[in-house]
Amino acid sequence: MRIICCRFGNKFNQWHVDNLKHMIDEYSGLKYDSFEVIEDDLYGNWFNKFQMYDRFRDGENLYFDLDMVIYDKLPNLIRKDFTLLDDTWWRAPAHTPLNSSIVSWTGDVSYIWDKFREQDDFYVDTYTKGSDEWYYKFIDYKTYDKVCPSIKDYIYQQPPQFSVCTLGQMHHLQEKGWSGWYSNYFLTH
Amino acid sequence: MLKICTVYFDGFYTPDYVARFYDSLKKYSTVDFQSVCISDTDVKADVVLPYNHNSKIVKHWHKLKFFSPQFAYQNPDDEIIIMDIDQVIVNNIDDLLNHPVEENELVTYGQWWSDALKFNGGFYKFKSGSLRKIWDDFALNPEFWQLNYYNKGIVHKKYYGEQNYVGNKVKEHNYKLTLTPHEWVTKYTDDYAENLKLNKMYMDKFDTDYMILDNEVNEKLKVVHFTGVGRKINENYLL
Repeated sequence: MRIICCRFGNKFNQWHVDNLKHMIDEYSGLKYDSFEVIEDDLYGNWFNKFQMYDRFRDGENLYFDLDMVIYDKLPNLIRKDFTLLDDTWWRAPAHTPLNSSIVSWTGDVSYIWDKFREQDDFYVDTYTKGSDEWYYKFIDYKTYDKVCPSIKDYIYQQPPQFSVCTLGQMHHLQEKGWSGWYSNYFLTH
Repeated sequence: MLKICTVYFDGFYTPDYVARFYDSLKKYSTVDFQSVCISDTDVKADVVLPYNHNSKIVKHWHKLKFFSPQFAYQNPDDEIIIMDIDQVIVNNIDDLLNHPVEENELVTYGQWWSDALKFNGGFYKFKSGSLRKIWDDFALNPEFWQLNYYNKGIVHKKYYGEQNYVGNKVKEHNYKLTLTPHEWVTKYTDDYAENLKLNKMYMDKFDTDYMILDNEVNEKLKVVHFTGVGRKINENYLL
């Protein structure tokens, strides 16, 4: 099984990669064969993640965004079919119901990369709110059950029935100087 | 513990503003405090926390982080003061730093030189965490709030309006607003004519002979705030 993450630009740095690996190793219960980091900045934005569909064409794959809190043993997130999060259970309707903070597939889904590459400049210019809208419009997908809430609803209390949270827009919580329940699971700055 | 919190970032002021401010706090008070500064460079403060230029939060809006009890290593019994660094302390400020504050109360400068704003955001004092909704609401959508007052034409420079935001949230959440005595603080500028006008207003409002006269500062005055768009501290006009 392969764990994948993606780091590019200035928003995230090596601390964020090390922090994700730390949380996976310490709290998730996941056993994996390799921890892969995509760092090639082809598009300057979230579409860089799509490189993983080209690079990793076999075996079990599990992708995480870097702005997550993993604080307990994860449920089985490995999927055969291309699967990502559906956020509509915790937020108001938006341009897409999807959230690719966690993605899993087994085998070869390089058709996603091929489809995107057909008109990558157009897609990057058109889907400016994020790649999740692109999945919604062009790719067949499955979604996880309710496994990953947003921390915005749990700033002051650790969500008891889950084991992973997305930080969403609240990246500041990973900066030095923040001390909440979440920071107990982060690497020390 | 009392924490006195500031924000510094490269682009307008220089790090010596923080040092001068820190030194003047020490010089003009006998109050025990810890200074905390969010900064993008090394500055003179007891605790320096990183200013993230890659954040969606910009400029002075970082001040609002201190309203969160989860920031800057706050403890439940702490009292928090947020101050701008474009201020010069001119007399003893023990009464200002020790100003009593209750839960769910914001103490801020009463200001007398403009009808546009009820208070001046150069000073906020509150009990740690008691005004957390000011931060929590902002953190849900910082990009919206940072431009909200500019987009509505209420302020005329991008990313201004933090005082408006704090004032609105104080009302929305029914926090108590307490103003410090108005004569404790003045606005000052590098414009001679404007300073004359400010002096005259101060004399009239507070029945005194002068506010700042050459090197003399009225004993009622504690802090001079070089507030306003594009304004820097100009000590040639002060001390």
